[in-house]
Amino acid sequence: MDNLRPINLLIAALGGEGGGVLTEWIVAAASEMGFPVQSTSIPGVAQRTGATTYYIEIFPQKTDLLGDKRPVMALAPGIGDVDIVIASELLEAGRVITNGFVTPDRTVMIASTSRLYTMDEKIAMGDGRFDQEKLIEAVRRNAKEAFLVDMDTLTRRSGSMPSAVMLGLIAGCGRLPITAERFESVIRADGKATDANLRGFRAGLEAVQARREWTGEPTPKKFAPKTSELVEHEVTYTLPLVAQEIAIEGVRRLIAYQGVGYAQLYLSRLRAINDVDQTVGGQGKLVCDVARQLAVRMSFEDVVRVAEVKISRERLRRIAQDELRANGEPFSVHDFLKPGIEELTQLLPPIIARPILWLAERWEWFGRIHFGMKINVTSISGYLRFLVLAKLKWLRPYGIRYQQEQEQIESWLDLVKKAALISIDFAHEVIECARLIKGYGDTHARGLANYRLIETRVIRPALAGGLPPAKAADAVASARTAALKDPEGESLAKCLAEIDARVPLPAAAE
Amino acid sequence: MERSFKKEVQALRLGNGDTFRGEGILAVTKALLQSGVSYVGGYQGAPVSHLLDVLVDAEDILRELGVHLETCTNEASAAAMLGASINYPLRGAVTWKSIVGTNVAADALSNLASPGVVGGAMIILGEDYGEGASVIQERSYAYALKSTIWLLDPRPDLPSIVRTVEKGFELSEASHTPVMLELRIRACHVTGEFPAKDNRRAQYSGVSRIPGPVRFEYGRLAHPPVTFLQERLKTEERLPAACAFIRDHRLNEFIDGDVREIGIIVMGGLTNSVLRALERLGLADIFGVSRIPILVLNVVYPLVPEEIRAFCTGKRAVLVVEEGYPDYIEQTVNVELRRAGLSTRVYGKGPLPKTGEYTSEVLLHGLAAYLQTTRPTGVDIDAIAAKARAVTARKTDVSAALGGLPPRPPTFCTGCPERPVFSALKLMQREVGPTHISADIGCHSFATFAPFSMGNSILGYGMSLASAAAVGPNMDRRPIAVMGDGGFWHNGLITGVASSLFNKGDGILVIMQNGYASATGQQYIPSSAAGGDSRAPGMSIEQTLRAMGVKWLRTVRSYSVARMAAALKAAMKTAERGLKVIIADGECQLARQRRVRAEELEKLKRGERVKRVRYGIDDDICTGDHSCIRLSGCPSLTVKPSPDPLRTDPVATVVDSCVGCGLCGEVAHAAVLCPSFYRAEVVRNPHWTDRAIFHIRQRVIGWLGGYNVKAAA
Repeated sequence: MDNLRPINLLIAALGGEGGGVLTEWIVAAASEMGFPVQSTSIPGVAQRTGATTYYIEIFPQKTDLLGDKRPVMALAPGIGDVDIVIASELLEAGRVITNGFVTPDRTVMIASTSRLYTMDEKIAMGDGRFDQEKLIEAVRRNAKEAFLVDMDTLTRRSGSMPSAVMLGLIAGCGRLPITAERFESVIRADGKATDANLRGFRAGLEAVQARREWTGEPTPKKFAPKTSELVEHEVTYTLPLVAQEIAIEGVRRLIAYQGVGYAQLYLSRLRAINDVDQTVGGQGKLVCDVARQLAVRMSFEDVVRVAEVKISRERLRRIAQDELRANGEPFSVHDFLKPGIEELTQLLPPIIARPILWLAERWEWFGRIHFGMKINVTSISGYLRFLVLAKLKWLRPYGIRYQQEQEQIESWLDLVKKAALISIDFAHEVIECARLIKGYGDTHARGLANYRLIETRVIRPALAGGLPPAKAADAVASARTAALKDPEGESLAKCLAEIDARVPLPAAAE
Repeated sequence: MERSFKKEVQALRLGNGDTFRGEGILAVTKALLQSGVSYVGGYQGAPVSHLLDVLVDAEDILRELGVHLETCTNEASAAAMLGASINYPLRGAVTWKSIVGTNVAADALSNLASPGVVGGAMIILGEDYGEGASVIQERSYAYALKSTIWLLDPRPDLPSIVRTVEKGFELSEASHTPVMLELRIRACHVTGEFPAKDNRRAQYSGVSRIPGPVRFEYGRLAHPPVTFLQERLKTEERLPAACAFIRDHRLNEFIDGDVREIGIIVMGGLTNSVLRALERLGLADIFGVSRIPILVLNVVYPLVPEEIRAFCTGKRAVLVVEEGYPDYIEQTVNVELRRAGLSTRVYGKGPLPKTGEYTSEVLLHGLAAYLQTTRPTGVDIDAIAAKARAVTARKTDVSAALGGLPPRPPTFCTGCPERPVFSALKLMQREVGPTHISADIGCHSFATFAPFSMGNSILGYGMSLASAAAVGPNMDRRPIAVMGDGGFWHNGLITGVASSLFNKGDGILVIMQNGYASATGQQYIPSSAAGGDSRAPGMSIEQTLRAMGVKWLRTVRSYSVARMAAALKAAMKTAERGLKVIIADGECQLARQRRVRAEELEKLKRGERVKRVRYGIDDDICTGDHSCIRLSGCPSLTVKPSPDPLRTDPVATVVDSCVGCGLCGEVAHAAVLCPSFYRAEVVRNPHWTDRAIFHIRQRVIGWLGGYNVKAAA
């Protein structure tokens, strides 16, 4: 008996997942079986979506057999002193690992592969998500035994709560001296949402007993519809193999966006890049990169595209059936639109749009005058408004927005071609700069302004020989990353200043 | 309230022969009833919010025993309640969060401690120190010292906590001194069991009242000239009486061990952590039998000189395990040993860190360092040192391998009415320029985290307006003070508003009127809506302000981002001088959801018309810039991989937890973000008119080529 030690269990959960209930169930089960047990927690912020932990110690010898002696129970976990760790979210699993509580000599770790992104990850202007693979690898490497499962999906499929699923997973991991039947009886005795909780419990139990690890399904991609147009076929014999898949998607997308002629324009632009690629020995890499960004740029977001999406049948079916679960019940969908002068003039030919925009600028309408509307797309008048806009597609090529976009695209492609002659890496970075231009209204204006800043301050000087070729790619990459750091442009300004400081110095520095 | 203890409080009825099982907080309540208290009160704050919640839920049981319960408006009023024990043989207990609550209560505490008490008076302090703490890291010990109030710090298991409460009242009465009992956050929530006793009905209480007041006695007042006498009584009579009681009733514990040349003196609350650390180092067993002698201080102030001397006699060294700074206990031990002429070396801060929580890891290290320095015979020092080193090495290695993880601080709940106010502030600042923001205590302090990162100072609960008083006159733009309705009633009404009006200040005050003290678990406050199970009288903040003389006053629904931004802009720009108040009105969503969900379920069951609303984002319109998230930060507004095969940046999405508050749509609209947001509604149990309109619309839209449910089916 001298060697007996408590079995220690650390639960890492997020607010609202029922970590408190889970802890109560485990304590009740251990207590019913007569084992000394103690739990503690740091709640408070638990309901406020913060990270929270619960800690339980169970002494595996019944109290009756201990006489007057009582084990000393700890109030907090110790490094190297934890037997079971369960984390309902992958990043929190990582946090328990960084705190040192998962050790290869002892700890069984049950971790969810589902993610609930933190604010820092969500507010990034590009992709701020933490590397998922790194977390999964850390779980496998640090635990004595690791079990990874998408608890979020497991919970939703079983129509239960995360706490019940976690209890099942803990029960099934085989480290507690408590049977599954005992846990089930505790859930029943609790008497709240018993059926749902039992479903969740069994889902967790079965998953771990069958060692059925899975990490959820990837998000399905929405591909553009196939066509029987010749231009689609043309891709296969004019572009290198590596670029074909993307280019075909691009062609299909642009056919749907505007028409076959527009897709042909896309292809001819790609062919020009392909020529450069072959000259510099890019092995199709440039074509590949351009094919992706060019298709996105050419299908720019304008009122016609937004209207088309809003009235698409697939969209309304998804909202009605998947989101609202309306089984024949009346439903409605209301869209929030607030076009400004730029949006309203997009489809007008330059000769009419320019004077309006000139006036708007003089009278300081930009950023101030907007036409806010909430349109019920499921009402007849709302539907008609979007329908009319969508039907204006034929006007698009004559509109000022279209023409501005094409000019910008041509200028960007020209930079890419020139950059390719200096180095393929440099060209790649110039291509990637297209990602800066996205969104609507202010967001679009900010992205475009950032792009232009990088163009005039970094790309053009580099093309003129102001930067050594090896440095050019780095400089563009760091400026682009900086542009995506903060919306106020502070990081970009700082980065550009650093690049400027380096430019005139190469000789003097030596 | 956020958490109901209706079921748990039944355990308060247990009596002799029963075993009580439950949480630390509940055990403290039971111990109070077993001690025969006549009155209880307090102000909520983690980690003792639940103590007050338990008391409120136990009102029936309290009433049977004649115990008066007061949910005070702040800690000063709670401390002043203990004044009942100055003259009358009434036992009473109050509770609050330390250190901040003790600061607020300090005036009353000084005036209570000076005349002393005849009835046992106990303050249960939620010691918010270390992990999970939400306040400044200061020790309550300083208050115990300066006011001569005894400080209890029991071993963190239920039998010890309960015994300390019971003995604490006796100690208070034996020495005519109020006592404080500190409970760390984990001790408040620790579960366990203890043998229950019958509840005791007090000699005097609501059910057997005192016949009349005591005779006038000047000596019971904290008023000169008797204050000089009282100061002497504290040190010459009450202190020796307390020491005698602590010694005679063995409130402190002594654990003997075979390595007698050294010892450990530990604060009661840290005992389990120290024993477990010793166990891991091979110097104790799991049942608390230690090889090194330990003196457990369940009473950390006063220290009993004889106990210290007796423990240290014959020892080369002792380690004082004392969390927090300054090292009051270590200093006292040193002084006592010097007075006794003992040469025992005292270690404490040195092997152990000066500040921060003493976690298992910290203690392993501190103990190993202590043993390495003192090298007692019969102990394998090298093995111990190696073990401690391995623990740290591991943590450093794994942290380095994984890199810095993004933090996950608490944030506004989904649908919180306070979030839109900060969205509006952000939008207003874009137009008017940055402003000084004086933040306060409460849920709204979450705005100091991303994505808002707002707030230039936090000076205390209800203090935001007062802390901007000298900023405004020295700055071009008006400062904005943000305050919750909890903070307003706690302190802000007088300290902030009255002071500003009195001094003709020219600032802006935004009051978050959500109807509860939300951050601590939705306790009622004076302006909570009256009626239902609410104990609140429903006082009006708006009328209070008008009566005080606030001229510029607007109440704006907090979800109306554009209107809120306009009101803020108007307050910034107006030529009118004086205090400008905007009441941001919106009920705490946690409380609202708890109510509304139950109501809607009822309606659905009865077959009544219910409209369900949720928000969504068209993932093929969103371009993944996340401006909307930067302006809202709603937990149910998150990102997902882009469905576009050509894009890599994740797009925004609204997940199932959405409560349909509408902020994302409001923000997208007010900030002119993008056309991706939509509001979707479905009508359950529709009227025939709903069906008719829907049917006509569907027919026409279907005919025009749009989505039609029937055609799709």
